[in-house]
Amino acid sequence: MNQISITKKSIIAAVCLALCVVLPQAFHAIPNAGSIYSPMHIPVLLCGLICGWPFGLLVGILGPILSSLFTGMPPVAVLPTMVVELAIYGLMAGLLSHLIRTKKLALDLYISLIGAMLTGRVVAGIVRAFIFSRVQVTMKAGATSYFVPAFLELSSNSYLSPRLFMP
Amino acid sequence: MTQTLTGIYLPGNTFIHRLDARVKFFSFFALVIATLFTNSWGGYLVMGVISLVLIYVSKLRFSQAIGSLGMMKWFLVIIFLMNLMFFSPENAWFSWWFFTPSYAGFLQAINIVFRVSVVVILSNILNTSTPPIELTRAMEALLRPLSYLGLPTGQIAMIISVAIQFIPTLTMESDQIRKAQIARGARFESRKLTEKAAAIGPLVVPIFLSAFRRADELALAMEARGYRSSQKKQVNKNVKLSSADAFAIFASLVVCIFQIYFL
Repeated sequence: MNQISITKKSIIAAVCLALCVVLPQAFHAIPNAGSIYSPMHIPVLLCGLICGWPFGLLVGILGPILSSLFTGMPPVAVLPTMVVELAIYGLMAGLLSHLIRTKKLALDLYISLIGAMLTGRVVAGIVRAFIFSRVQVTMKAGATSYFVPAFLELSSNSYLSPRLFMP
Repeated sequence: MTQTLTGIYLPGNTFIHRLDARVKFFSFFALVIATLFTNSWGGYLVMGVISLVLIYVSKLRFSQAIGSLGMMKWFLVIIFLMNLMFFSPENAWFSWWFFTPSYAGFLQAINIVFRVSVVVILSNILNTSTPPIELTRAMEALLRPLSYLGLPTGQIAMIISVAIQFIPTLTMESDQIRKAQIARGARFESRKLTEKAAAIGPLVVPIFLSAFRRADELALAMEARGYRSSQKKQVNKNVKLSSADAFAIFASLVVCIFQIYFL
């Protein structure tokens, strides 16, 4: 993983950034797939895993912004929460893949992936509850609406991302 | 059948096309802030008229300007209904289960849908009137102050620029892959969650593999031509703005201040 040059990492990050715009559009072909599988998360996680935390963080911040500028999705109202969530995804995926060494690539990958997604969801949930959210809901309702879809997304990303990493 | 992106540059020679990209960026953000502060019927009217004038001046077809809104129609319907039903339980028209539609919720729903729609239209106008390369240069210029904090702004701008140039190519390719998978029997329209989930793998994996192959080729070509990310870039010295640019900055600032303090 360390042999990748900075130029190549930059280009992979650029491609992942482009995929943050393209992939949600491709998912429009499947009814409701965008909201269930959160396609923008996959390139951010992969970028963090392949290129490291600085690039993962960058793609996590810029991905939703660029997609919002080009396609109007995500809308500006949910953009800040999504930027925080994806930034944490990219950052944590990069950090965990750098720190975790079990000598088994698949295990490293799953731990980094699931760790990044759980941290991202928890941080974004906290940020949404205490900073961005204007409508007051009960803690139980908020947690259910935010974390239950996360399990669907977690399972789909856990299935897809290692297949992209080790095709 | 073919997907088209609604934010792609359309060449032209209108007043909006001739403006400096940095000015367009600045004006865009000023108008977005103005939109986010809109909270009255007068404010809606002003922002609506400004959006229509900008569409007319940039000679953009109305269908192109609102193209993204069509893709977002279900999202807009959902946020409208959610705000209408849950925003305020006080003075509700009626109460059934946990639904409490009210006049305050209706106003909030209109407010949110209006803001989202105007911002989408403004971003469409920005993207259709500015070549991607100019957008990148504008981003680089606007990001330049961050270089004093040690951030590699040149490299960030290069990443954004390459990403923007990849978007149309990858969109076309993903469309081809989708059609190829439909021809092979993928059931994207199925209502069963298991079939939907099974359709995702054959769609996503080839898109990623093709994108990474392109990234590999481009990185190799750049390195073969001696590209080094640490190299200092030549700074564009042409920073003079025209009177039209000054007018655009002034007008967008006036709209922004007017919306924040008077409407």
